[in-house]
Amino acid sequence: MKKVLFFVLSAFLFFTGCSRTPKLTFMVGGAPNEVQYWKQVIADFETKTGIKVTLLEQSGKTEQRLQSIQVALRGSQPDPDIMLLDVGWIGQIASAGWLESLGEYGIDPTPFFGGIITLADTFDGKFIALPVYVDGGLLYYRSDLLAKYGYANPPATWQELVDMGLKIQDGERKAGNTNFVGFLWQGDKYEGLICDALEYFASAGGNFLDQTGAPIINSEANIKALQFMVDLIHTYKVSPESVYTEMNEEGVREYFQAGNAMFERNWPYAWGLHSKDDSPVKGKVGIAPLPGFEAGKGASTLGGWHIAVSKYSDMKKEAAEFVKYVTSFEVQKALSMELGWNPGRMDVYKDAEVIAKNPNLPILREVFINAVPRPSLPYYTAISDVLQAQINEALSGKISPKAALDSAQEKVIMIIKEYGNK
Amino acid sequence: MFLLPVLLVIVLFIMFPVIGTIFNSFFRMLDTAGSTPQFIGFDNYGKFLFDPQYAPRFWDSVKFTLMFTFTTVIIEAVIGLMFALILNESFKGRGLLRTVILIPWAIPTVVSAVMWKQIYNSSFGFIKWVMVALGSDPSVITLGDFQSAYWALIVAEVWKTTPFVVIILLAGLQAIPQDLYKQAQIDGAKMFRQFMKITLPLIMPVLTIALIFRTIDCVRVFDIIYVLTSGKWGTETLSYLGFINYTVDLGKGSTVSVLTFLISFIITLIYIKFGNFGKTIKS
Repeated sequence: MKKVLFFVLSAFLFFTGCSRTPKLTFMVGGAPNEVQYWKQVIADFETKTGIKVTLLEQSGKTEQRLQSIQVALRGSQPDPDIMLLDVGWIGQIASAGWLESLGEYGIDPTPFFGGIITLADTFDGKFIALPVYVDGGLLYYRSDLLAKYGYANPPATWQELVDMGLKIQDGERKAGNTNFVGFLWQGDKYEGLICDALEYFASAGGNFLDQTGAPIINSEANIKALQFMVDLIHTYKVSPESVYTEMNEEGVREYFQAGNAMFERNWPYAWGLHSKDDSPVKGKVGIAPLPGFEAGKGASTLGGWHIAVSKYSDMKKEAAEFVKYVTSFEVQKALSMELGWNPGRMDVYKDAEVIAKNPNLPILREVFINAVPRPSLPYYTAISDVLQAQINEALSGKISPKAALDSAQEKVIMIIKEYGNK
Repeated sequence: MFLLPVLLVIVLFIMFPVIGTIFNSFFRMLDTAGSTPQFIGFDNYGKFLFDPQYAPRFWDSVKFTLMFTFTTVIIEAVIGLMFALILNESFKGRGLLRTVILIPWAIPTVVSAVMWKQIYNSSFGFIKWVMVALGSDPSVITLGDFQSAYWALIVAEVWKTTPFVVIILLAGLQAIPQDLYKQAQIDGAKMFRQFMKITLPLIMPVLTIALIFRTIDCVRVFDIIYVLTSGKWGTETLSYLGFINYTVDLGKGSTVSVLTFLISFIITLIYIKFGNFGKTIKS
């Protein structure tokens, strides 16, 4: 028994103790076709530069992807050198000092969406990540009904959306579709509600936290925006009550896709499903940036994946080369052509070939210019939990928007007091 | 010696996580990059039991969990007993019915919760379809406020778990010697009297066990809350509160789990003390 133990231990020490040759590793997950495509990107990079890259494949589940990255970084592991981060994790990982500043390696952030770089990819004045895939909330509308009721353009302001939505809702209901509703969005108590609420808040000039990270939840602008969200359901009745009881992304998409709604707030993914062959609304859907309280002042909640280099990487220079390659015009264009991804580089949105493949890109470009990220804090889930409950409660009409946001403000102050300093 | 492997399994898979959870509850363990666990003694317990920031929400969820549990368990006991009595009679198709009645119990809870979510769906759900067919307003909402959400949850839970009660009671009914009923018939006792004097006392221990199991199970109800209401409008149960806390601070989540365990433990003690458990077994 003792001999076996001795053998096992010495073998363990031998394999872990021996010095290892550094290798460049890229940690990425996602749908099978995405991972497959990353393999091709790596192969092209290898033939071009002669630097070998190993792909560390992650699970398709977002939470698990975060966990595997955290485990590696907590243990100060030299691998992965490069990883793909959800926009929501960047602040949390950067605040632990785990990300390499990319500016030092001659990477230039100017071709990318400036707003996204400042709001999501900059930490302590240094930019530490670059957007590879950009996502944001948009307005889907029924182009056929817009024409039928004599409108030339989708709404630019929330008030226009209400007026158009009500007129079309009345008309369609009179025409026999009693299930028809004007405007659908995500109002159930879950993370999606935070994304929607942020869009209304930001388009009124508000936000959850200010530049310094202090909560400004019960600001005038936020109360006005939340009052409008409540009015959509209870005063104008352009949105059904099911918005606050059960509507999430898929609920909204299915209802709209069945032909029972005029406007829908959703993410870019819905486009592909709306335009599938078996979709009743195929060819009758248009997209537009979300309206604002003033024309041109709309906002869109930012989502998407960003590429970053680990502080513990043993091949930082080569890693930066890989980042440069992935965020180059050619690869960003290829990702858009092959996977339908919305690139982080603004110049790709003007490429004729890409636009021919995805005609919505010029509109998406307008959307992403006004993208706002959610607070990126390590204890964000605690803040989100409070906001979800209070905003949903206000939407149900049980408490006033002011009372809901006052209470949320008070609770978030306590959360920051408790978790703010490590 | 033969018990050793079993003991090992128990220690590894039961004792280790249980003790680990209790241990964790004395720490502050943030899910933050670069943060290290900090020993804080009974702070977490103090927070949930007394601190105005945490205690009201905790006690609300205790209140809701207990209310939900007792309503559900009482309804299940009554319906379960009725079903068991029916299935204990001999009639054509009894075997089939006994199997069919188990289906809800065999479905994973999350799946049945999603199914009920479809039924309650306010745009194309079955309930809405029925209500509209009966001439109700089409904008009717099934999970729109506390009362309707509460009863919607209870219906989903009762549907799912009554078969468990039925099966246990059925086993209890079959263990009653038939002679007792014959004797009672000779003495001229009517059906109801037979039920009150023979059936009920003799299945009491089995009923108590079924109710203990169901109560413990119900106190930690999570899936249907998660799927149907996500704790909206005061339908937050203890395990859902624990889940929310786990995402931020492992220590707080563990504390809620330990407190949930203590509550189930106390309820079980009450059952054993007042459930005529020992007395009926002796007689």
